[in-house]
Amino acid sequence: MEAIAVTADELYRFYRAGDEETRALRGVTLEVAAGEIVAVTGPSGSGKSTLLTLLAGLDEPDGGTVWITGRRMSHRPPAEQAALRAGKVGMLVQNGNLIEHLTVAQNVDLAQRLAGQVSRKRRNGLLFELGLSGRAGAWPSSLSGGEAARAGLAVALANRPALLLADEPTGELDAHSETPVLALIRDQAQTGTAVVIASHSPAVRRFADRVVELADGRVR
Amino acid sequence: MSPLVSCQDVARTYGRGASAVVAVHGVTCALRQGDRVALMGPSGSGKTTLLHLLAGLDRPTAGTIAWPGLDERPRGQVGVIFQGPSLLPPLDVAENVALPLLIAGCAEGEARRRALAALAAVGVEGLAAQLPEELSGGQAQRVAVARVLAGSPRLIIADEPTGQLDSARAHQVVDLLTEVAGRLDAALLVATHDPVVAGRLPTHWEMRDGALREDVPWSS
Amino acid sequence: MVFLMWLRGLLLRRTGRIAAASAGLALAVALPAALGMFQSAAQQSMTARAIQRVPVDWQVEQQPGAQLKGPLPGVSRQVDFASVAGLQSQANGQTLTTGGARALGIPADYAATFPGQLRLLAGTPTGPLLAQQTAANLHAVPGTVVTVHRPPLPDAQVTITGVVELPTADSLFQKVGAPAGAQPSAPPDNVLLLPAADWHRLFDALPADQVRTQFHLRIDHRLPADPAAAYTRVAGAARNLEVGLAGAGLVGDNLGAALDAARQDARYAELLFLFLGTPGIVLAVLVTALVARSGQVRRAAEQALLRARGATRTTFVRLALAETLLIAVIGAPVGLALAAVTGLTVYSSARLTGPALAATALTLLVSCAVVLLPALRPVAAARRRETPAWSRYGLDLWLIAGSLLVFWITSKTGYQLVLVPEGVPQLSVDYWAFAAPALLWAGASLLILRLARLLLGPGRPLVARLVRPLAAGLSPAVAATLARQRGALGRTATMAALAVAFAVSTSVFDATYQQQAQVDAQLTNGGDVTIGQTTATEKQLAAVPGIAAAEPLRHGFAYVGADLQDLYGVRPSTIVGATRLQDGYFSGGTAQEIIGRLASSPDALLVSQETVTDFQLRLGDQVRLRTTDGKTVAFHYAGVVTEFPTAPRDSFLVANASYLAAQAAPGDTTYLISTDGTAPHVVADRLLARFGPSAKVSDVESVRRVIGSSLTSVDLDGLTAIELAYALGLAVAATGLLLVLGFTERRRTYALTQVLGASARQLASFIWAEVALVGVLAIAAGAGAGWALARMLVLVLSGVFDPPPSSAAVPWAYLGQVIALGAAALLGAGLLAIRAARRPPLTVLRDL
Repeated sequence: MEAIAVTADELYRFYRAGDEETRALRGVTLEVAAGEIVAVTGPSGSGKSTLLTLLAGLDEPDGGTVWITGRRMSHRPPAEQAALRAGKVGMLVQNGNLIEHLTVAQNVDLAQRLAGQVSRKRRNGLLFELGLSGRAGAWPSSLSGGEAARAGLAVALANRPALLLADEPTGELDAHSETPVLALIRDQAQTGTAVVIASHSPAVRRFADRVVELADGRVR
Repeated sequence: MSPLVSCQDVARTYGRGASAVVAVHGVTCALRQGDRVALMGPSGSGKTTLLHLLAGLDRPTAGTIAWPGLDERPRGQVGVIFQGPSLLPPLDVAENVALPLLIAGCAEGEARRRALAALAAVGVEGLAAQLPEELSGGQAQRVAVARVLAGSPRLIIADEPTGQLDSARAHQVVDLLTEVAGRLDAALLVATHDPVVAGRLPTHWEMRDGALREDVPWSS
Repeated sequence: MVFLMWLRGLLLRRTGRIAAASAGLALAVALPAALGMFQSAAQQSMTARAIQRVPVDWQVEQQPGAQLKGPLPGVSRQVDFASVAGLQSQANGQTLTTGGARALGIPADYAATFPGQLRLLAGTPTGPLLAQQTAANLHAVPGTVVTVHRPPLPDAQVTITGVVELPTADSLFQKVGAPAGAQPSAPPDNVLLLPAADWHRLFDALPADQVRTQFHLRIDHRLPADPAAAYTRVAGAARNLEVGLAGAGLVGDNLGAALDAARQDARYAELLFLFLGTPGIVLAVLVTALVARSGQVRRAAEQALLRARGATRTTFVRLALAETLLIAVIGAPVGLALAAVTGLTVYSSARLTGPALAATALTLLVSCAVVLLPALRPVAAARRRETPAWSRYGLDLWLIAGSLLVFWITSKTGYQLVLVPEGVPQLSVDYWAFAAPALLWAGASLLILRLARLLLGPGRPLVARLVRPLAAGLSPAVAATLARQRGALGRTATMAALAVAFAVSTSVFDATYQQQAQVDAQLTNGGDVTIGQTTATEKQLAAVPGIAAAEPLRHGFAYVGADLQDLYGVRPSTIVGATRLQDGYFSGGTAQEIIGRLASSPDALLVSQETVTDFQLRLGDQVRLRTTDGKTVAFHYAGVVTEFPTAPRDSFLVANASYLAAQAAPGDTTYLISTDGTAPHVVADRLLARFGPSAKVSDVESVRRVIGSSLTSVDLDGLTAIELAYALGLAVAATGLLLVLGFTERRRTYALTQVLGASARQLASFIWAEVALVGVLAIAAGAGAGWALARMLVLVLSGVFDPPPSSAAVPWAYLGQVIALGAAALLGAGLLAIRAARRPPLTVLRDL
């Protein structure tokens, strides 16, 4: 199980706002093996979210390359990026990981359909494991913070991703809710999914196999 | 010296019944003139809710909160800096800074003069005619600080004021806040989960699952 | 399946937005459909009326020496005509003789076969009948024996059994085969109708040049609903028949002539559809577009999520298409149902054909496109600070200048929008004239937008001063907020102003049309009720309940040179007030002045402009008229008259009734009756009951339904109702809906303002300032643009007015309603926004 799930090679990304240039990433290199959990930490603005966005192929690096399970993600047509992302990447964004006008179960269904792997059994299993069986038909706006985070995770895992990217997955959760979510991520990793979590949380740092600390766009 | 604000066994619950979320409970605290407090704690621990209660922007569901050191209505006498964009998009920088003064009944010319002075004091007088969307994150936060300064509040409350900034700029903003609080002889409460930011303030409080612990010992 | 799930979610969770977009689309589709139904119903009724007006469709005249062979189409009856030297009767020991007369031989079932051709006034229709005028000349009643002078044959005698009126004498006695454009020949003064057997007994021996034979036909009435198509079919069939007859007979196409007149009205109905409908349709589409554009922030967030899940552009396109389809599937049937209900209630027909169907389909497509576009590309409203290109190049002013130019060119042709070349099946419609109002609409829209932007840009200090009463110390901030949103606010205010302009222009046009239809009917009928051929006196008439006054009007004929003209005798002291004579009826002075000349000199005579030109008359010239009984009467030319109650459109004469009576000029007296407010048809019934069936009574209401322009007869009220209801709907949608959507997008601003310490009152001042700005701009700019458009429409469409209006009518009551409803919508939007803004600011900020 030493296959490399994701490789980030010397990534650079600059943003410009007004006449001020923000260097979000300045040469970040990262390799994550299948089944490994990596926590990316660092203060806000250190480049965590930018790194995750580039790994997901949602943005193009100004320099460097991203590889997902040996296939190039960066610098290729958007349709191919989307297909790779749909099949291999699960994404959990900080807040609002759910489409507001679809129920919890429908949000999972939608992710499965976009990945082309519809399985009602897997959907129900995911919801059960995350303690959401009773909330399958609920609208996102009626969920509590913890439920919303767990439902978001269910959506991110809907396509059995090779790489799970999570941006502050436990940010909205108290300590009681944090544990089962992390346990599920651990279970997922044991099936061979590589996990990259951007987080402030000390619990996440302790939980990860490896911690990568970013500061001002570089690995510290 | 009577406190500017004091909380007695304050709680705030969102929602009702099974899905109710207790954001803050059993909080008793006070802020006095000259206090410099960093409020720590993970996201979702209730920091933001407590700040809003202290600023008089929200009402507790249990317990009492009072502002013995302020006039009757706390709103407008507390300088608030928000997480994320807190400038009014349709107003330019000078107008944004002058707005609380106009709201308080200040004449137009006087308000503008004081707004420009406050902008000069935080070193961004050159941005007076810019619109918020044209500012970088750091500039926007400096303008937000200038807006607080212009209102001469006795109590300053900042929610993750450095959330969008890299570490060098985060330092500058915190130092600026401290300086402004000193100039106004006001109390300052900064919620942050950035240890570097917290390290620049003498007193530390910590929120955990909705409960407040005062005077946490701190080692950077 | 993804799409069904997605759509179900939208329906359940975005109900309001989907409903608003669907409602906009429904409104956009309903308007052309309803107008199309109006047009279709109008055409159908025009054709039906044309058919109904003509008792005998074709008169096929057998040519001298030829014999019509073969069967004729439809129902045909043979009618024989003989010219005789005169008729004579004995009454009270006095012998009365007429001049030349016509004797017709008709089959026994003629009156039943062609209802409306003969109207029995007295006696029975079984034997010899006299036309009303002839019976009057001979003092004949049923039972009177009339001698027929029929040289070279000896005199013959018939016993009259009845008196009839010949309502279609003009076409009955037409010269069949007269070249197009020839002067219509006047019908004979004296007519005798005989049963066919009697006619053959009396006239078969007459020389061939004194008799002719016609076949009167009623053809198949299953004709196209469109008068133009019906005309083409009927005229073609008539020519076809003539060819088939190979010179043995010529066809007098009465039905074709009636349809020819109707098709012109049909084209005008189409133009009304274009001129009045198009702006409303465009407006409804624009409102739909603005509704669809709102909520872009949330859309952008959704697309970001979908992208994170691996959705491609194709997925977005499909989802956007599905959403559009959903809105169309809800909106289109609702719109069509709305139109159908309107059609059924107003015209009892919901037929949609041809161009109207195409217009409806096109509107549906365009509406779908404006819904689809923002769903495809949810760009979070990019703020553009630079002036838009149209504004820099002054496009609005160019458009308005272009409009005025086209308008000026159109005015040079006298606004002849529909040209009917005689005998040519194709009508030419001057669609160019449409460009003037169209350009004015476009130019005015942009100009209003420019004004709004100017007011909110350089005019900001003015706005700050204006909002001071509302916002007090906050007014600079309020003005700045308004100014920075000048794009969105300008659009909302412009839409609201256009809705008001649409309501104003449509209602002013409609009101003017109604006013002129009433004037036209008054002019044709003379008074509220008119009674003629009666022995009743002015005093007797005045005693009938419901009658306020009865104005006598003497009518006869006189020759001006060789030209026989109607000669009216008036009582100058009362005629102006009694018949509401308008200044426009005369030239060279007001009605009062010109009629005053009659009062001051007994032998004064008013003539038509044509007569003045033909005879080179100058004021004071002596004019000698020859009356129908051969006397010559001298007058002095005193003025020009162009229109007169009951007078024909061409030349006629007006003189003093007392002078005509003194000169014993032949003529009889008609009374023009003003009612005291009682409905004219009620008074008409009373008069008929009291003064017998021989009296000729007509009321203005029936006349208005029957006369001239069938546009009036198809009830423009229906069109008016549709237009005005839609204008109201659009005004409410544009003001209320768009403001509410705008406020929704500014929740963050309001929440932050509250956080900064603003009181409820201060917060409300932001909202009320916006409401007031939109309201004031909408009313001021909308009223101005609407008035200009109405003036232009009334002039450009003057062809539908008869007579042309001297002033436009303003329906204040309706406009009051529009403004009241618009104000209510604004108020509602403001209150909604205030309620939303008063939610705890944190809840709002957390949600966003």
